[in-house]
Amino acid sequence: MEQESRSADLEEDLADLFENAPCGYLSMQPDGRIGKINQTLATWLGFSHEDLLGRRFQDLLNVAGKIYFETHFAPLLRLQGFFNEVALDLVGAGGEVVPVLVNAVERRDPAGEVRFIRITVFNASDRRRYERELLEARRAAEAASLELRELNLTLEARIDEAIEKRMQAEEAVRQLQKMEAVGQLTGGIAHDFNNLLTVIMGSLEAIERQTKEAASGPAAQRIQRAAAMAAHSAERAATLTARLLAFSRRQSLTPRAIDANRLVAGLADLLQRTLGETVVLETVAGVGLWRIFADPGELENAMVNLAVNARDAMPSGGRLTIETNNAYLDEAYVDSIPEPVSAGQYVQIAVSDTGAGMDEDTLSRVFEPFFTTKPVGKGTGLGLSQVYGFVRQSDGHVRIYSEPGIGTTVKIYLPRDRANEAATPESEAAPGLRAHGGDETILLVEDHDDLRVYSSGVLSDLGYRVLPAPHGRAALELLDAEPDIDLLFTDVVLPEGMDGRRLASEAIRRRPGLKVLFTTGYTRNAIVHNGRLDPDVDLIGKPFTSADLGAKVREVLDR
Amino acid sequence: MTVRQRHNVKVSGAGSRAMVLAHGFGCDQNMWRLVAPAFEADFRVIVFDHVGAGGSDLSAYDPQKYASLEGYAADVVEICRDLGVRHGVFVGHSVSAMIGVLAAKRAPELFDDLVLVGPSPRYIDDHDHDYVGGFSEAQIHELLDFLDSNHMGWSQAMAPVIMGNSDRPELGEELTNSFCRMDPEITKRFARATFLADNREDLDGVHTRALILQCSEDVIAPRAVGEYVHARLPNSELVILNATGHCPNLSAPEETVAAIRAFV
Repeated sequence: MEQESRSADLEEDLADLFENAPCGYLSMQPDGRIGKINQTLATWLGFSHEDLLGRRFQDLLNVAGKIYFETHFAPLLRLQGFFNEVALDLVGAGGEVVPVLVNAVERRDPAGEVRFIRITVFNASDRRRYERELLEARRAAEAASLELRELNLTLEARIDEAIEKRMQAEEAVRQLQKMEAVGQLTGGIAHDFNNLLTVIMGSLEAIERQTKEAASGPAAQRIQRAAAMAAHSAERAATLTARLLAFSRRQSLTPRAIDANRLVAGLADLLQRTLGETVVLETVAGVGLWRIFADPGELENAMVNLAVNARDAMPSGGRLTIETNNAYLDEAYVDSIPEPVSAGQYVQIAVSDTGAGMDEDTLSRVFEPFFTTKPVGKGTGLGLSQVYGFVRQSDGHVRIYSEPGIGTTVKIYLPRDRANEAATPESEAAPGLRAHGGDETILLVEDHDDLRVYSSGVLSDLGYRVLPAPHGRAALELLDAEPDIDLLFTDVVLPEGMDGRRLASEAIRRRPGLKVLFTTGYTRNAIVHNGRLDPDVDLIGKPFTSADLGAKVREVLDR
Repeated sequence: MTVRQRHNVKVSGAGSRAMVLAHGFGCDQNMWRLVAPAFEADFRVIVFDHVGAGGSDLSAYDPQKYASLEGYAADVVEICRDLGVRHGVFVGHSVSAMIGVLAAKRAPELFDDLVLVGPSPRYIDDHDHDYVGGFSEAQIHELLDFLDSNHMGWSQAMAPVIMGNSDRPELGEELTNSFCRMDPEITKRFARATFLADNREDLDGVHTRALILQCSEDVIAPRAVGEYVHARLPNSELVILNATGHCPNLSAPEETVAAIRAFV
């Protein structure tokens, strides 16, 4: 009796535990239908026991849960006999969602047949909310770290760019300071030397005169010969100091309005004699050339110096081309060069040879006085120094383009003489003020880093999409990767065995109809006559201003 | 990596005729572990994992290729050609039923018999054509949104089950090498390819003999869908199984084996 009562107590206790445990319990029959469910779960869902018995567990799930249960958890349960901690959403009587964690286990009889499936359900409302917050926090953290990473990346790029610019500026300043220092030094020495030479030459004259008057005989003749030799050397020394003064921009100039075409024509005989028979001289006079304001004697000296250099660069013959043109140096261009040059109208005199050319190292020192590549005794190293000094003293600008094995072009820009001419309408005077923009894509091929950056900047500012490449191979890769390229803008002289002409013909083979614009530091006449380009191609000479480039690019694109 | 490695292909059995068993969305070749042995005496039995599932090469997953079922069908053709399958039997469960139909259209010489277990050419109802798929468009999007948004809910819970879990290595170790492994990110994409598919037109022009095995209570592919497939495949038989749910190959393997045996 007592035993019965104890067992009844135990049964009641167990029933109470089953019904009111802090988690949901249900048993599924082998056919998948609910055979038993506790009060806790029924209460969570808002159903009565009767509503739930005979239904399937999947019926309590939302659509996503139903699909996932059928495709994932039912197979898993069947294959391994259980699953644990599966997050599901149950749907209550009123459509409310009850987030739960579900464990399930198969119970089998000794024969291995499934007797029932026990499912344990934990209420996971708080946990799910916490998980969602955690997830949000993680997303926010990931987004923030991504942003930070990108910021860091661009920061690095920005710093690199700033350092690069700074280094370029410093290099330019160093170059300028060096030239200034050398100029001051040589100028100072030359000036003192001139004073000394004046005294020496005056004294030698006195010696000559007085020995003539005071004595004769072999001894006096020897003194006179010695004095004449000394005077001759002193004269040569004076020429040298004059050149040094020219470089240091301390020579006295007598500038006046000059027609450069006439000056070049008048100089042709002298230049041809300087060049010798193996070098052909060609002059191309610009039409409607402005007059310049400069010292004609020094300009002639500069031309002769350039001719001498060209001759020495072409020992087995070649061609020297002198061209004149009106030119406009715009703000962007003058900002890009180290010397202080004013933007405005200039006349360009370009002297191009087909000689040995120079490497970059040589180019960077070429204006220094006494710097020479010629054998000892062959040159003074003062020719280009004179050109540089004279042009700078005349408020002009000089630029050299050279490639080893191909040739050199020296471009002299001298300011237009405004005094004796009627004012020109501003629109004609400053083509740089006209913008020539567009939104086409331009493949820019230029091996010179600074120039590539400059051109790219100019074209980008005009609205174009620019794809820069340092050589032909990179350009062709870009061409294959980018379907929308409208124009190939390439330097004629490129490294790595593929020059601009070969690049252009390969590019046109791959993309028929592609428009091409060439650029070169050589003048058009020089480069066409050298057989490096066909006469009818589009070409823009270096240096070009942003207005020149914009206009030319637009012209080619619109054709 | 060979095709066989890519798909974790397993070949067993003594027969000369090939039987290719393809698993559906949610599991891997383990789906066939209760069915395949029954055919090993008479067939060369081939099981494999779709890319993204089970022991397949996850690095071979190409989102573009597998954005539609055609990508999976191309794999089936590639596997069969690699193994020299001709005039064989294709048994496809769930979404792989339609993958098999697409493969049979691409390469009719591969299979003389198709066994389609719970096939559905479209899961979303199409009221304009009186087609019942079993789900409204909103419900399918609810599923996909749920998969997209609820990393923690499904994947976190699934992670120990599917991929192994570093917090509970004992569980991970046990399950990683057992059943129904699937990469969570790929699962989402596979769900999209599966539940947004409409391959009804692809049923036209399939003249291969086909057996449609339809469970009596299948939430994923209701009976109306099985009947639709039967009506649209001219050379098909429809067998309604006593088994309930979507996976008779697991819940009622004997009945499934008997039905397939009777057909082939």
